[in-house]
Amino acid sequence: MSNRLRSSLTVLGIVIGIASVITLLGIGKGAQTEAEKQVQSLGTNLIFVRPGSSSTSSISLGQGTSQTLTYEDSQAIKKNCPAVLDVAPQYSSNLQAQYGERNTLTTVNATEPSYTTIRSFRPARGRFFNETEMREEARVCVLGDTVALDLFGNLDPLKKKILIRGELFDVIGIMEHKGANYNIDMDDQIFIPISTGYSALFGLSQVTGRTVKSILVEAKPQEDELAQFQITNLLRFRHNIVAPQGDDFMLRTQSDIMQAAQSITGVFSLLLGTTAGISLVVGGIGIMNIMLVSVTERTKEIGIRKAIGAKYNQILSQFVIEATLMSVSGGIVGILLGVGCSNALSTMANWKAIVSTESILLSFFVSLGIGLFFGIYPARKAAKLDPIVALRSE
Amino acid sequence: MSEFLVELQDVWRTYNQGAEPVHALQGVSLQIKESEYVAIMGTSGSGKSTLMNLLGCLDRPSQGHYLLAGTDISSRNEDELAEIRNRMVGFVFQQFNLLPSMSALDNVMLPLVYAGVQKEQRIMRAQQALKELGLGNRMEHKPSELSGGQQQRVAIARSIVNKPRILLADEPTGALDSHTAKEIMALFTKLTEEGITVILVTHDPETAACARRIVKVRDGKILEDLMIGKVQ
Repeated sequence: MSNRLRSSLTVLGIVIGIASVITLLGIGKGAQTEAEKQVQSLGTNLIFVRPGSSSTSSISLGQGTSQTLTYEDSQAIKKNCPAVLDVAPQYSSNLQAQYGERNTLTTVNATEPSYTTIRSFRPARGRFFNETEMREEARVCVLGDTVALDLFGNLDPLKKKILIRGELFDVIGIMEHKGANYNIDMDDQIFIPISTGYSALFGLSQVTGRTVKSILVEAKPQEDELAQFQITNLLRFRHNIVAPQGDDFMLRTQSDIMQAAQSITGVFSLLLGTTAGISLVVGGIGIMNIMLVSVTERTKEIGIRKAIGAKYNQILSQFVIEATLMSVSGGIVGILLGVGCSNALSTMANWKAIVSTESILLSFFVSLGIGLFFGIYPARKAAKLDPIVALRSE
Repeated sequence: MSEFLVELQDVWRTYNQGAEPVHALQGVSLQIKESEYVAIMGTSGSGKSTLMNLLGCLDRPSQGHYLLAGTDISSRNEDELAEIRNRMVGFVFQQFNLLPSMSALDNVMLPLVYAGVQKEQRIMRAQQALKELGLGNRMEHKPSELSGGQQQRVAIARSIVNKPRILLADEPTGALDSHTAKEIMALFTKLTEEGITVILVTHDPETAACARRIVKVRDGKILEDLMIGKVQ
């Protein structure tokens, strides 16, 4: 009976180790899936074109600070690059918006109607502004759902007028909920036609130069590399950039962002996995310890077994099997516990932990391996015992 | 093929522990025929335990030869010795040496497990051996639930279940009362009549008297080798 208690306590080490492996791998997998989902939600075949860094007296002010990218660039890309399906230039600025007594500081995103399809981000109610409103520089706006809530509370914002930096705008639509996308809260934005933005809010004209903060490009399916090539060449030509001179713009694709996200979550998973792996090694040493105790305690039994004809391999396999049974039963309990923990975490902590079949199989074979690896030394010790000495022991 | 089942030829056994080598056996020669009933007598330190270990193939001679049924034991490795013990030798110990966690039946089946006998066969033969020894109704009992005499009979069943050629009994009655001891000794006599060679190791003259032949050992040498005539 004391043996059973002792074995259970030993096995507990493996149970905890395997349960943490399952849970932590589940968390890592959950994080990865979440990251991939976010990147996917940006749209498909996306290329971001942003201005490069501007520099004053050889001090670089960082990416995106240069004002070299213009509205005309975006139109040229759409017109001249065959691999490009559509473009949406963006000029955004943080401005105060007001409705009655309520006001909020939010991001005013001036863009084109093509934005909705490129970002796959659409109005939930009402509509987005159209080409006619673009041409006419209409004072219309579409609210993100956070902004709508901040300004209107329970009221219906549709067909109401709001003030943006003192200018009146008609609310013609409310965007669907999208959530935070990396550092940008997609729902805390107001969308207006870019032409209206230039003339009414930002004070930019064709004469002063209509710069953009970024250009969203949707490449044709399977042609994003070609599109990148065409855009790069076009912008170099338009900006008069010759060989030794560096580009004053930069391109990032969705797969660049995906790779960055994956490498972060990959490191995350690796760290979690290593932590759990260490607890498994500790568990394995526990098994080795208990097996060594067991061999010492059962020296007489080993002597008897040898006297009646047990060979080296027969004693060896007996003890290896015992160690493996211990670790595998611990592994199975640990897998169940780990799956339970992951589910509990998913429901309670609102953090999705995904237990994959691979991690279950991995855990099972790891616990099997631990039994074999840590069982073999005690088992060899048992199998090598001299039967005469073993029989004499008490 | 030798006419002897057991043949020791000038056997030495030397232990090299400590500064001085200890010669536990010093040139022992001994022949035992099939189905003999031999008692080996000697005080502790006489070398009788070493002799028993050698005869039981638990050990090998340092010098000289041991032929068991014509096979030279001296040149065999551990696993080969284990196989020879399994097939040819049965052991009965003073303290019975049954495995406490196993039932009587499982204890008796153990040598057959190591011999690689099929499970149905194992159960059948173990049950038969236990029945022959009057333990038909005690097969599922653990050793702790059996009396000393019953435990020793389980141990004897275990020693004979794989049909060995020799049976080595080391003080088999040392832990038993005199009545039970007599029953056990009668069992050995019966076994020799069935063709098993019984070698009894004891320091007790009364126990030794049950045998047909007494070999006295002292200081690693054979002192006397007497045949006892018994009136049939």
